[in-house]
Amino acid sequence: MSMTDREFKYLSAFLLKASGIVVNEDKMYLLRSRMQPLLRKYKIASMDELAQQVRSNERGPLAHAVVDAMTTNETLFFRDQYPYDALKTLIFPEIVHSKGVGKRINIWSAASSRGQEGISIALTAMESVPQADRRVRILGTDLSDEALAYANEGLYTQMEVQRGMPVKLLVRFFNQEGTNWRVCPELKAMLTFKKANLVSDQLSGVVRPHGPFDIVFLRNVLIYFTVDERKRVIDRIAANMVKGGYLITGATEVAQGVRSKWEMVTFKNKRLWKLK
Amino acid sequence: MKALVVDDAKVVRVTLGRIMKQIGYEVLEAADGAQALEQMEANPDTAVVMLDWNMPVMNGYDFLVELRGRPEHGSDPKVIMVTTETGMGQMLKALAAGADEYIMKPFDKDMVVSKMEILGLEVAEG
Ligand SMILES: C[S@@+](CC[C@H](N)C(=O)[O-])C[C@H]1O[C@@H](n2cnc3c(N)ncnc32)[C@H](O)[C@@H]1O
Ligand SMILES: [Mg+2]
Repeated sequence: MSMTDREFKYLSAFLLKASGIVVNEDKMYLLRSRMQPLLRKYKIASMDELAQQVRSNERGPLAHAVVDAMTTNETLFFRDQYPYDALKTLIFPEIVHSKGVGKRINIWSAASSRGQEGISIALTAMESVPQADRRVRILGTDLSDEALAYANEGLYTQMEVQRGMPVKLLVRFFNQEGTNWRVCPELKAMLTFKKANLVSDQLSGVVRPHGPFDIVFLRNVLIYFTVDERKRVIDRIAANMVKGGYLITGATEVAQGVRSKWEMVTFKNKRLWKLK
Repeated sequence: MKALVVDDAKVVRVTLGRIMKQIGYEVLEAADGAQALEQMEANPDTAVVMLDWNMPVMNGYDFLVELRGRPEHGSDPKVIMVTTETGMGQMLKALAAGADEYIMKPFDKDMVVSKMEILGLEVAEG
């Protein structure tokens, strides 16, 4: 399966522009293997032909499918655990105290993938915020149509629900369908999933109706972007947060952007970011 | 730290036992609930029981009820059901009888580690 240098450069530039995802030459193998199912599905003979078809219609379904195929949607319920401990013991108590009981709490899962992150936030809220089902609203956004469709369906495999999720939460908040588990309507009503591109200037337009946000999860996605793009993404997010709001990145990801805007808060040796 | 692996299928005792050793436990075995009770009498310091449901002689559920009824153990050890009984009704029944976690077979190491961490049980690296 050959690909000329020119076509590789084109696809890599297209992906950068469309998604912020950096695909350098050392990732060429990844690009090839991720495109194989698309070549079969769209009956395309070669990577060069794929590149040419994308070029001819950068907003068409094939171009979207190429971007979707390059996203890594791996995720887990209660991934890394500490963000949820921080919500329960630090962030929720602080917000409930400062806002007073009854006021809406807006949360954004900014690379929501298949929805596990948003659901884990909702489950944590149900355990630690009074009247969470009425007060807490969670927006999940992602660029991947496939991941969004999965999140909207809210149906998880036996394998997925057994990693990270306590069984007591599973039996209480999910309904069994064969060997799968569907998130219950009460929890589902707290969640909304929408398509949004973190590297687009139109981001605010999509999320603003659901904000401003008290808490933003931006986890395990900055790693795919250039350093400059990471800064721009952080600044776009900050523009949609309340003063004093919390940003939770991946354990090794840093809130770049305008550094002076963020106060670093240490929780269990991990860094959280508070908007000044 | 001791882990008691209870299953009538040898292959499960071996694979689950291997995982428990890898994460730092001394592994005890039993092939049914009656043997498991004997192991608990001989090893009251057992930290966790990995418990199958369907077994001859005494099944896992009856063992669990018996174990939780014995005052000398209090709420120790932690009990993780590891079973093909995956109906919601069975799960609720085991939880009500004092099971702490539940693994629906098939299992893998990540799943076992995840459940151990949820229960605050020690997990050694490697
Ligand atoms: C590895 S997952 C992380 C999911 C979750 N936040 C977690 O930590 O488990 C990364 C997600 O980022 C999404 N993504 C990648 N580029 C994006 C972009 N430019 N805009 C929005 N989402 C993007 C991918 O589709 C994927 O679902
Ligand atoms: Mg059996």
